[in-house]
Amino acid sequence: MGNTKALILVHHAMERVFLSDTVNIMLTAEFYTLKKERIPVKYTYQAKAIAPSLFDGLLEEGQDYEYMVWKEEDEWTFIAYDVAQIATFLESKGFALSQVAKIFFVQQSLALFDGVMPLGEDKALLAIDSVVVLLPLVVLPESQKPSLVFSNRFTPKKGVSLQSTHHSLLSFPQSLTLAILLSVFTMIFAFDAYTLTHLGGEEEEILLQLEEEYPKLISPTRRKSILAKYQKIDKQERQKRDKIKLLSSMIFKGVTLSSLSLEKDTIKASFSCENSKVSQRIKALAKKHHFKSRSISGSHDLIVEGSL
Amino acid sequence: MNWQRYINELIVLGAFLLLLGAFFYKNTALNAQANAGSKSKESIAQIQETVALKEIWADKKTSKKLAKIPKLVSASKVKWRKKGKKIEAKFQNLTARELNNIVSKIFNLAVEIKQLKIQKKALLYDMEFKCKW
Repeated sequence: MGNTKALILVHHAMERVFLSDTVNIMLTAEFYTLKKERIPVKYTYQAKAIAPSLFDGLLEEGQDYEYMVWKEEDEWTFIAYDVAQIATFLESKGFALSQVAKIFFVQQSLALFDGVMPLGEDKALLAIDSVVVLLPLVVLPESQKPSLVFSNRFTPKKGVSLQSTHHSLLSFPQSLTLAILLSVFTMIFAFDAYTLTHLGGEEEEILLQLEEEYPKLISPTRRKSILAKYQKIDKQERQKRDKIKLLSSMIFKGVTLSSLSLEKDTIKASFSCENSKVSQRIKALAKKHHFKSRSISGSHDLIVEGSL
Repeated sequence: MNWQRYINELIVLGAFLLLLGAFFYKNTALNAQANAGSKSKESIAQIQETVALKEIWADKKTSKKLAKIPKLVSASKVKWRKKGKKIEAKFQNLTARELNNIVSKIFNLAVEIKQLKIQKKALLYDMEFKCKW
């Protein structure tokens, strides 16, 4: 696919530009430092890793340099460039950085520099010893007349994105790594959520079984009503039986049950006691079990009563 | 376009927003399951309790078990009246042992005791009781 964006050659003597569309730019040698080396590495990332050490002492200190590396036959070409410096220059010449899509370097189009390309009124670009250089026109011999015309055909395949290198807090590989990491967690969460949503719990299975077995109890309202009814009966009847059991425990040697009455809300028993000692013991037991007791005058007999 | 400057951040932001969405989805699913689980547990407990109580207090064999009570004493001592699921009974001249036997049998049955009266006459007892089930 051909590059449809206009390619602008950028050099110090260029005129100010007024852009309406996004463009690609090609930088002359004024904006970068070039080095060619034969080094025993196989891959570009390996070469890029050692690039800073190759430029030791060649670059200005305190600047933040980026590197571009590619292989030409048996030699590696290294370019060191200062993005901030380039960006500042571009802005001074009227470029909005957001309109600069890709940055290329004239060295990348070495093969196309088979002649002299005029640059402004007094300079020219040409290839000398496989390096594209910028020279004053006056130093060129008469035979080397400017013949090359700069156009989009000089656009190399690979360029540098100014936006991503200058403005981004994260590089593309960093953001990709982070995005992959976050996506892994996203998938884990989504899978967990899917599992939780679509797999019923153990309780639900038990409930379904119970509802199949007792279809009349499916309705919560009906179920609660039935339960309330039986809970009430259960509580009251257990209470009646407990009270009777307690009253029975008061019958021992010297005590006879004279009468017992169990009505809706009360339970009452009258005991005939042999002597006052037995009577006192019944009273104590009645008190212990929260019954009221009263003596029948003129005897040791007692009436013990309680509420239900 | 300005957003192109921040394409890397936008990629990460997009991934983060997806993560956030998935996290909330999981959280919602977790809460929903916890709620459903808690409701299910409550329903299970209610059904089990209802069934258990119904088995006790609406036992279909209660009627047969109650019918055995008047046979514990001679027919002359008992007046037994059954109407649907209600019983009114009067016992007369029961010995202490007979009284104990009848009372314990009644109290071991899952019936609602509406009334119980015991009266000692000399050495014997009269007893009245009303129940339903």
